[in-house]
Amino acid sequence: MSKTSSVRSSIVSRRRFLKLAGLGGGVVLIGACAAPPAPSPAPAGETAPAPAAQEGAGATAEPIVFWTPGGSAVYCQNFNAISKAFAEEYPGLTVADAQCGAGDQNFLEVLLARVAAGNPPDTTIIWDSPVSLAVRGALEPLDDLMRASRYSQAEAWPPGVLASCQWQGKTYGLPTAAGTYAVYYNEALFESKGISAKREDFPKTWDELRKLSKEFTVWDGDTLKSTGFLPTVVDNVELNIFSALNGGQVFDAANNKFTLDSEQNIEMMQFMLDWLNEEYKGDLNLVNSSANWNFYPDGNGRPPEFQNGTMAMQSSGFWVAGDMYGVEVKPEAQNWNVAQYPVGPSGSGTKSGYWPNWMVIPKGAKRREDAFKYMDYMSAIGILTWFEAIPDMPTNKNVDINKLLPKKVAEMRGEEFARDVLMFFYKQLDVATPMWTSPVQNFANDQITRMIEQVYTKQATPKDALAEAQKACQAELEKVMKA
Amino acid sequence: MAKMVLSKPGGSRSNKLRRNEAIAGFAFVLPWVISLLVFTAYPVLASFYYSFTQYSIVQEPKWVGLGNYTTMFTADPAFKVSVYNSAYYAFLSVPLGLLSSLGLALLLNMRVRFIGGYRTLFYLASLTPPVAGTIIFIIMFQPRGGLINGILGWFGIQGPAWFTDPNWSKPGLILLSLWGVGASSLIFLAGLKDIPAELLEAASIDGANVWQRFWRITIPLLTPVILYNLVTGVIASFQVFTSAMVIGGTTGRPQESLLMYFVHLYRNAFRYFNMGYASALAVVLFLAVLAITLLIFRSATRWVFYEGELKS
Amino acid sequence: MDQAAQPITTSRVARPVAVAGVAKARRNRQRLIKNIVAHAVLIAFSIAFMVPFYWMLVSSLKTNQQIFTIPIQWLPDPPRWENYSEALNYPNFPFLRFLGNSVFYSVSVTIGTVISCAAVGYGFARLRFPFRDTLFYITIATLMIPFIVTFIPTYILFKNFGLIGSYTPLILPAFLGNAFFIFMMRQFFLGLPNELADAARVDGAGHFRTFWQVMLPLVKPALMVVAVFTFLGTWNDFLGPLIYLSDNKLYPLSLGLYAFRAQRTTEWALMMAASTITTLPLIIIFFFTQRYFLEGIKLTGLKG
Repeated sequence: MSKTSSVRSSIVSRRRFLKLAGLGGGVVLIGACAAPPAPSPAPAGETAPAPAAQEGAGATAEPIVFWTPGGSAVYCQNFNAISKAFAEEYPGLTVADAQCGAGDQNFLEVLLARVAAGNPPDTTIIWDSPVSLAVRGALEPLDDLMRASRYSQAEAWPPGVLASCQWQGKTYGLPTAAGTYAVYYNEALFESKGISAKREDFPKTWDELRKLSKEFTVWDGDTLKSTGFLPTVVDNVELNIFSALNGGQVFDAANNKFTLDSEQNIEMMQFMLDWLNEEYKGDLNLVNSSANWNFYPDGNGRPPEFQNGTMAMQSSGFWVAGDMYGVEVKPEAQNWNVAQYPVGPSGSGTKSGYWPNWMVIPKGAKRREDAFKYMDYMSAIGILTWFEAIPDMPTNKNVDINKLLPKKVAEMRGEEFARDVLMFFYKQLDVATPMWTSPVQNFANDQITRMIEQVYTKQATPKDALAEAQKACQAELEKVMKA
Repeated sequence: MAKMVLSKPGGSRSNKLRRNEAIAGFAFVLPWVISLLVFTAYPVLASFYYSFTQYSIVQEPKWVGLGNYTTMFTADPAFKVSVYNSAYYAFLSVPLGLLSSLGLALLLNMRVRFIGGYRTLFYLASLTPPVAGTIIFIIMFQPRGGLINGILGWFGIQGPAWFTDPNWSKPGLILLSLWGVGASSLIFLAGLKDIPAELLEAASIDGANVWQRFWRITIPLLTPVILYNLVTGVIASFQVFTSAMVIGGTTGRPQESLLMYFVHLYRNAFRYFNMGYASALAVVLFLAVLAITLLIFRSATRWVFYEGELKS
Repeated sequence: MDQAAQPITTSRVARPVAVAGVAKARRNRQRLIKNIVAHAVLIAFSIAFMVPFYWMLVSSLKTNQQIFTIPIQWLPDPPRWENYSEALNYPNFPFLRFLGNSVFYSVSVTIGTVISCAAVGYGFARLRFPFRDTLFYITIATLMIPFIVTFIPTYILFKNFGLIGSYTPLILPAFLGNAFFIFMMRQFFLGLPNELADAARVDGAGHFRTFWQVMLPLVKPALMVVAVFTFLGTWNDFLGPLIYLSDNKLYPLSLGLYAFRAQRTTEWALMMAASTITTLPLIIIFFFTQRYFLEGIKLTGLKG
């Protein structure tokens, strides 16, 4: 799942490797040697799913074809287990073994090729926003199916999250799982400075946060030894969150308009930049070359500093709660907790954001109704099994969240804490700001990445960088809308 | 060496021979002609057509005339950046790659013991799966603690920040590409092996030294292969993609310095769903590379020496 | 040739034996120095080119954390051999089946490419026929068309042909040629002297026999290059199989390796172990085929 924001540190994150590793052996050869042996686009085709091997008695139809962009063997096997349970619940329906793709980007290429050729899978998980695909006619609208479904009525989803699937009044996907965001903090560090480590005492405004952050930031010459809160906006998700915290918006879905260069956003980016200048020598390169200020080992093999107990606070998603134990957590970082985001000077209340796993039906899928039954089942029932293996946050209100427990957190911190953290992140869904709603999401993501880089490397002022990104995104949007 | 003396053929006989040769020629290239017509023609013509449309892959293309082309030259700042980056890259990586692969091939053509083992070792970099290869490159180019800057440090040189410095990221990428010269040096090696040993021996006996033999015999006889490696090198350098994407992402970090033309093309096609625009970018790339290639082929009549050329 | 050789032969015979001995000793010493220098240079370059592979090998014996430490840990401590058994027994990674698929795919494509490119390249190089050069330039031009934009129409094309479900459609086009290697073979055939073909023709050989019996043996090194590149490229190709196969059982190793990429993290050590196993056959094949480059060609029978 491509949703960690591990790009906080310098060059390349493992996740990016993961995604890009999927770019193709043949392609790499083009870059590497003079004579790429890979033949021009290889031929062949395959429409029909493999003949149903495990068709149960009474099953008449072909199995439903289900894809997912990727994931480990555990992930894929897990889906196969869910499919089996589904087949028992819905006699006559079976699901073929999940086709686990080879990463985000290649997955999309293959999916688009299949849609264009008219032989797509019946249903698939996607990691690209449904709106951009729907606008281009790649997805089936689902509203009629949702109304007739067991679990998936429109009311069964947090509105801010379902918004990522909606375009001009129609719904094109189900946000089956969505990891919400919050601020992680190190209780021991707080207490060592005599600051209350209680969640409810966590700073409520950016000014308070900025003041508190200074307590923890230690420089040794040009090497950063420990940090309070790094005022970096990492990607599109965080930009949306911080913009919302300051009363702003990145994309105004109602009016189909980008609002990147709004007063609130300029103020927000300027606030972060001033903060960086004041506390972090204004030099992100120095910050990043000092250590890996993150929750994951980075592409340079440096261990994450949060687990080393040298980071007081950092923003990230729910998955980090379990994933952080992927590396050794030092005793001084054992007691961590999570808090809601403080609010910006022009904001009015705390917000959150999320990174979903969407399920959709591609245009031209042969088994629309059966496929939806599977999506419906997955969102409300299958997700329990899914969560067991990979704790991705369920979003459907029919899921009894109390039945779930993030195993790793429970193992390390006890059941009570684990349940508390789960409930905390679950409630973050309700304050999630609508995002992933623009028809030119990837284009905007790249423009946002570029804008952030320009601001933090001081190639442009926040005002100019935001204005440039705004202009580019709006132009792209209008171009797409014209078609 | 005596020339073969062929009896001067009479008119009708000559015509018949020519016709036979033409028929044989068509027969030899027939599979490829079929491949071109069946597998290549449609996709190429289709993408040429798409370049005049707005096309998102899943929807029917919509005709926009020259719209994509005007956008490219007037309203897409990233286009210019990517052209500059790719030209910079090609201009340095092609000659460097050519020289180093020729040098390597000469090394590997030496008659010393274990040369087979050396060849295998030299080729290992090309055999290693791309993922592992790219990761190790990046680790070695780390500004702090990386191997390359460590070695530079022994000589008292303060190494640059490589892939975090927009001024050094492209040179870094070019160095990275040189790791893959094993492949083209293998082609050179095959070319070297095709040079008859008798020729070199004869020259040596005539008193030509190593240098003279290299310039007068080896290089001229190698020119057909040099032409091949040059042309394919140019083509490949404009298509550099994966290494740039792994390091710089789809925005060509740092500061768009690694936004290569092919990356821009790719992101338009499959990230932004602008296949029409991507096709226009492809057409422009095609024309540019074609022009360069034709120039190379035109110049080749002066410097490439074919022992067996048959003018039609 | 013979005339040129004459004077030296004569002088050597005339030279006193003692002088010859000293000269021989000096020549031996020179050769020794030359050899040492040669090996030193070769070893230095070998090390530089070995780094990626060596790193992969070492990483396959480490834990996930050890792989990325800086400075690089050049020796695994202690070596974690279990990675190999774990990789081979990883769920959804039936190694032998994938290996079999890879061998089948690579061998078929290699055979097809070598045969077709040799023939087509020969046609372009050594036979005159109308539109030959136009056709050749079209061939070169196809190399410049980015696969990114032709990939979707190609897929649709093959879908419309109804080429569904097996490797056949992935392999078939290889038997019709590959522009890169056609171009390469043409260059090599053009480098061969005319006299040979003429001689064969005078002997009454047809075009096909001239190609097969006279010319083809002379470009053996180039054929080997085509074979090695094609095999390697097909072995590592995963986009083709990913696009055109949807049954996991048909996957080649290159695609199977993606089983090790988890949702948010990757089993790097296991992946490196599996990559090493995947690469080993290539290295062995290369080591044993490269000796054919040693031979070079002998223009015997080319005497006026």
